[in-house]
Amino acid sequence: MPSPLTMLYYLVHPNELRSIIQWKTWHNPVHERDESKEGPALKRCFHFLDLTSRSFSAVIKELHPELLVPVCLFYLVLRGLDTIEDDMTISLQTKEPILRDFDNILERDGWTFTENGPNEKDRQLLVEFNVVIEEFKKVKPAYRDIIKDITKKMGNGMADYCNNAEHNVNGVNTIADYELYCHYVAGLVGEGLTRLFVEGKVANPALLNRPELMESMGQFLQQVNIIRDIKEDMVDKRRFWPKEVWTKYVTNFEDLSKPENKEVALQASSEMILLALRRADDCLYYLAGIKEQSVFNFCAIPQTMAIATLDLCFQNPVLFQRNIKIKKGDACQLMIESTQNLQLVCDIFRKYARKIHQKNNPHDPNFLNISIACGKIEQFIETIFPSQKKPVNMASPLSVAQAEKERKEAQEAKWDIIYMVSAVMLTIFFITGSMLFVAWLAGARFDIAFSEFRQQFGELMSLSDKPDARDPSENMVINHSEL
Amino acid sequence: MERPRIVVTGGTGFLGSEIVKALVAAKRFEVTAVDINPPALGTETFSQVRYVRASVLDAENLSKVFIEAQPAIVVHTVGVYPLGAARYTTKGKKTVFEINVEGTRNVLDAAKECGAKGLVYTSSVAVLFDELDRDFRHVDESWSTGRATLTYGQSKTIAENLVLSANVSDFLTCSLRSAPIFGPNDISVIPTIHGLINRGESPWIVGDGTNLIDFVYLSNVADAHVLAVANLLNSGTAAGEAIFITNGEPIAFRNLCVAIWKEFDHFPRFEFTIPKSLAWWLGYGSEWLSWATGSEGTFSRGAVKEATRTCYASIAKARRVLGYEPKVSLPDGLRTSCQHYKKKLNGQKRDESHRLD
Repeated sequence: MPSPLTMLYYLVHPNELRSIIQWKTWHNPVHERDESKEGPALKRCFHFLDLTSRSFSAVIKELHPELLVPVCLFYLVLRGLDTIEDDMTISLQTKEPILRDFDNILERDGWTFTENGPNEKDRQLLVEFNVVIEEFKKVKPAYRDIIKDITKKMGNGMADYCNNAEHNVNGVNTIADYELYCHYVAGLVGEGLTRLFVEGKVANPALLNRPELMESMGQFLQQVNIIRDIKEDMVDKRRFWPKEVWTKYVTNFEDLSKPENKEVALQASSEMILLALRRADDCLYYLAGIKEQSVFNFCAIPQTMAIATLDLCFQNPVLFQRNIKIKKGDACQLMIESTQNLQLVCDIFRKYARKIHQKNNPHDPNFLNISIACGKIEQFIETIFPSQKKPVNMASPLSVAQAEKERKEAQEAKWDIIYMVSAVMLTIFFITGSMLFVAWLAGARFDIAFSEFRQQFGELMSLSDKPDARDPSENMVINHSEL
Repeated sequence: MERPRIVVTGGTGFLGSEIVKALVAAKRFEVTAVDINPPALGTETFSQVRYVRASVLDAENLSKVFIEAQPAIVVHTVGVYPLGAARYTTKGKKTVFEINVEGTRNVLDAAKECGAKGLVYTSSVAVLFDELDRDFRHVDESWSTGRATLTYGQSKTIAENLVLSANVSDFLTCSLRSAPIFGPNDISVIPTIHGLINRGESPWIVGDGTNLIDFVYLSNVADAHVLAVANLLNSGTAAGEAIFITNGEPIAFRNLCVAIWKEFDHFPRFEFTIPKSLAWWLGYGSEWLSWATGSEGTFSRGAVKEATRTCYASIAKARRVLGYEPKVSLPDGLRTSCQHYKKKLNGQKRDESHRLD
């Protein structure tokens, strides 16, 4: 039962309530997983998926059956890796070899890990990691190789970060470092998923030739999370905002949340938002390469949530006070619109780009660049979905050469029509001819048919009382009697 | 090998002088700058450039100058743009057509006569965008022209057609449709928007303020001209083509204004939105008022339409055919131009105070 306060809230925000009800009643999953065919280990895996992922579990479970298990296991493997990396109670000596060797661990039957601290919220996944390994063995080798390859890259990346004492004390330094970090934790996921999609034939293989697109998919989500979680990370003494950015505005990272720095903190956040916003058009481009509805939903929902979150964080001082989240009604509305087609997703991006643009503050040093980034998003959408039709050409042709070309084209078009019509006529004649010929071979008497036709045609004409046009047989009879 | 000779008409003007500068910087050309005016005081001149005075309206003299210069390529930048209220009326139409159309005809004739291999024409996005009743979102060169309703766009369309229809195998022409240009010494974009501050018009937003507009920074257009010259001399793939040249960064018009005011440390103290339709009537009233008082107001129906509509173009063709890439970004270009204008304004103020002494 919702609290009275919630009920009051929805009473004054009926639109949000409507979105929630709409989503809950009308959303039909594209595919539903068939639990009856799942073994106990796989059921356990899905249990862990629900347990460990807040946002991804629902969309993963609706994926195309071909990709459902591989993507679910991919997620759990990475989550397992992450749980080891995050745990500060594990010594570096224990941690590093596991991280670097995690891709081989995936093939070690019965491997589990029990050394996580008691407060690590996903520790149970590693305690029972043998179920993931058991299911992983059953996955198609092609998918397995992709998952292993990404696990290897990410494990090594994470191990490097753990080893990097400077990173652990000071956090991320330059913007390049920040993007590299996001590459390891999210860009690689984008790469892995894209390869799985292409392998499963649900995405355009051309996506693999434009690696910056899948990189942007991951970067956009990760950067938005890093922006939104600033307060939480500050409390946990973690620092993902690059030093290169925030030192322009404050001297100590913690000063960002001080009330007297409200203005400059917002400026720092808008620079971070600008970095993310520049990735938005790549994400739309990527989505254009997805060929299957459930995969599209899986990719599009997090992206639209991300742009809505960016809008929520933009010019919002609360960002530095507490954790902010999109309202449930808005989230449902976004999900309704993200599970249909690319055009609606583009509309969402344009809507939020305009919202960001309207909140843009002239005093902010990033004012103009944010405005340009918003313009770029709109322009990009216009390249995939032109909103205008070219007017009919009324003007005189540009040059003599062009006039000549146009005249020739018109001439060609005329001849095209002539050819087409003659081809159709020829075909008809040919078919009729061959039918008649076959009929003749089969013994049809066209001579009788012809005279019958003439006779009946004559009768038809003779309705106009012409005395001569009487039945020839009758004539014969008279003639005969005369004889 | 002998360096190709280039004649730049309007070579001491706002754009022409920048093209001359870019051609000199390329170190591959011999440049002759032809202009009705000598280089203005305080502008950069180059010892290796020949400066010749001639008017594009004086066909005879022009031809003489061209024959003497023996250019391989002519870059024709001369054109007039009616400023302020005149843009939306037919006032001065005759002069505009004379210079933009007849001038172009004379330059074309003179160029062909002197044996030049080609001509690069400075056209304008106005050939399309001067049809005020339409929005233009990410349009490309396949859009046909000929529907412009304003004098400037009409004159540029006719001239562009003259230029492109003159394209034959031994005389290659191309037309660069530049977006409105801003830069140091600009007399249109930045001064006009800056002028709104003193008239107290900066807080008013007409329409919703999200309409996107294209601009281009001076040196980027100049680069495009040099690329076009090189193209006509080499592969010739641009021959007979019209090509949009912009900064490739469409921006909400309101934000551009705010960004310019910001360079002059002006921030509108409040913002007030006027709906489009109301603004149209106000513009209508203002036109009557200007007419009745005989003064020249900036507010008119045309200005309202222009401030509230979307028009930007794709530069994909420029990238593909010319290898054009806007080197100076919009923010950098704006900063430079505003700094320059600020200095100029301060200089004027100082002059005035001297006079008062």
